[in-house]
Amino acid sequence: MISLQSATNSDILIYFLSEEAVSVVFGQDINEATFKRISEFNALLTCNPFIGFRTTVVAYTTLSVFYSPIEVMQSVLPGSTGFEKISAYLDLLNAEATKYYSLKQRRIEIPICYGGIFGPDLQEIATFNRLSAEEVIHLHSSAVYKVYMIGFVPGFAYMGGMDERLATPRKAQPRQAVHAGSVGIAGKQTGIYPLSIPGGWQILGRTPIHLFDINRMRPSFLEAGDEVRFKAIDEQRYYELSNLKDGHQDH
Amino acid sequence: MAIRIIRAGVLTTVQDLGRPMFRGQAVPTSGAMDQLSARLANKAVGNPDGSALIEFNYGGASFFVECDLLIAYSGYGAIFTVNGVDLPCNRPLFIPAGTSITLKENLQGSRSYLAVAGGWKVTEIMGSRSTYLSGGFGGFEGRALEANDLLINEAGMSPLSKSILEHLKSSEINFPKWSISDSRFVLKNEVRVVPAQEFLWFDAISIISLLTKPFVVNAQGNRMGIPIDGPLMSRRKTDELLSTAVTMGTIQVTGNGNLVLLMADAQTTGGYPRIAQVASVDLVACAQMRPNKEIFFKEISSDEAEELYLEREMHLKQLDATIAYKFMIE
Repeated sequence: MISLQSATNSDILIYFLSEEAVSVVFGQDINEATFKRISEFNALLTCNPFIGFRTTVVAYTTLSVFYSPIEVMQSVLPGSTGFEKISAYLDLLNAEATKYYSLKQRRIEIPICYGGIFGPDLQEIATFNRLSAEEVIHLHSSAVYKVYMIGFVPGFAYMGGMDERLATPRKAQPRQAVHAGSVGIAGKQTGIYPLSIPGGWQILGRTPIHLFDINRMRPSFLEAGDEVRFKAIDEQRYYELSNLKDGHQDH
Repeated sequence: MAIRIIRAGVLTTVQDLGRPMFRGQAVPTSGAMDQLSARLANKAVGNPDGSALIEFNYGGASFFVECDLLIAYSGYGAIFTVNGVDLPCNRPLFIPAGTSITLKENLQGSRSYLAVAGGWKVTEIMGSRSTYLSGGFGGFEGRALEANDLLINEAGMSPLSKSILEHLKSSEINFPKWSISDSRFVLKNEVRVVPAQEFLWFDAISIISLLTKPFVVNAQGNRMGIPIDGPLMSRRKTDELLSTAVTMGTIQVTGNGNLVLLMADAQTTGGYPRIAQVASVDLVACAQMRPNKEIFFKEISSDEAEELYLEREMHLKQLDATIAYKFMIE
């Protein structure tokens, strides 16, 4: 397996994912320091892309870098294979990265209308955790969440930071369709459905924000590295915000 | 140029080479499952490789030619026929208005591609005309084609397409004597794989079985992934994998030890351990595998996989020059 990994003395491990991608490992488990390094490295790379760079996929402990093999082979980076050339570039960038200390995190507030028709499982979550509905809303909207990665379906953010007092198992019977914008809890995780898809999460509210919109330059509203807070809004405000955004009511 | 779908067949969608730039936002690349056949069909009509074409699964579909067409088809899922007569694949075909074309099942493979001069006209979304069915966007209104759908070509044709059309234009079906040979890329039952990052999470017997025993393509495969039946893989390292990037060609091992080969519409991240990565050049064979086909995996290094990739790209570049020569010089 040694041939699959870059042979350098740097603190990152680079491995072959496909002819068009490598993955860079920054740590072994989910923690704040790894999260910060990946976010910083990702920002640095996307601001300083090599020739042939396509995109990155951020995950809990890895950053995967996708590229055009032909363009990379045509570049003057040192190495005789695409993998060697990319590894050389990423190692160099990693050495540079230590010169950059902090990254301005995007802080995003997402309005949520809790309960009612938008949050059919709010009471179930409250009952399961021996809390009142108001306490559930308070706990859910007072935490600060970090977006670790975007995955599962377009625009879906894996977020950490939910108060464990809200942990609730998935529904025994998944719903055939969960409305886009629905905010749910599954175990110790909370997340927002970017598209209307089937799903088994316990739904406690809905946001009028489109988490994924193909008409935007950047279709995904959230990105890995974001810091997110939820703000409770009432139904009237929900409709106002829906109207502001697309000029019609969103049912 | 225009066609009207008479029978849509099994899952017929508009695809191109996909949207690789949006994986960071968890948007699958999508695009043609067999990218090589798709590129050959486009090349045969003088299109850039990335023009939109129609992906058919197996036989059964049919369409009516509303206006004169310059098309080409490629792949192994069907043979295109007119009144029971086979049309040759991998070469430009001039088809006059009023013709009906029917796809006859080809037992060699599963997918075929229909290119038209200029490319099929659909809205470009996130830099691609590929259909992503689960997301409901891209391609023809974000869905599979249905009976009565009318497809037309893009207005801007390449100079090469115009030249091919001038050469072949006629009052009846017309095509050149040559065809593009895809014999370099013949379908085999051997799939070359590079050990993936969690390869050594599996015990020795499992790995020996993976690389020596026959595996069988499960009938439940789709554009997202293809389950592959065979000896179960057992773990010697039982850690939970933290979700990380996967890509087309990644072979994951599910909780019960089964293999799943991820394809064009697969999720961008996954939490199952990855035992192997199919060499990009052999994804053609994977996209064409029919259910119940028996396959074998053969280990190669990542350097070999890259070498094979570059070699294929070089041949495809030479092919461009050959086609241009045939029609531009005469």
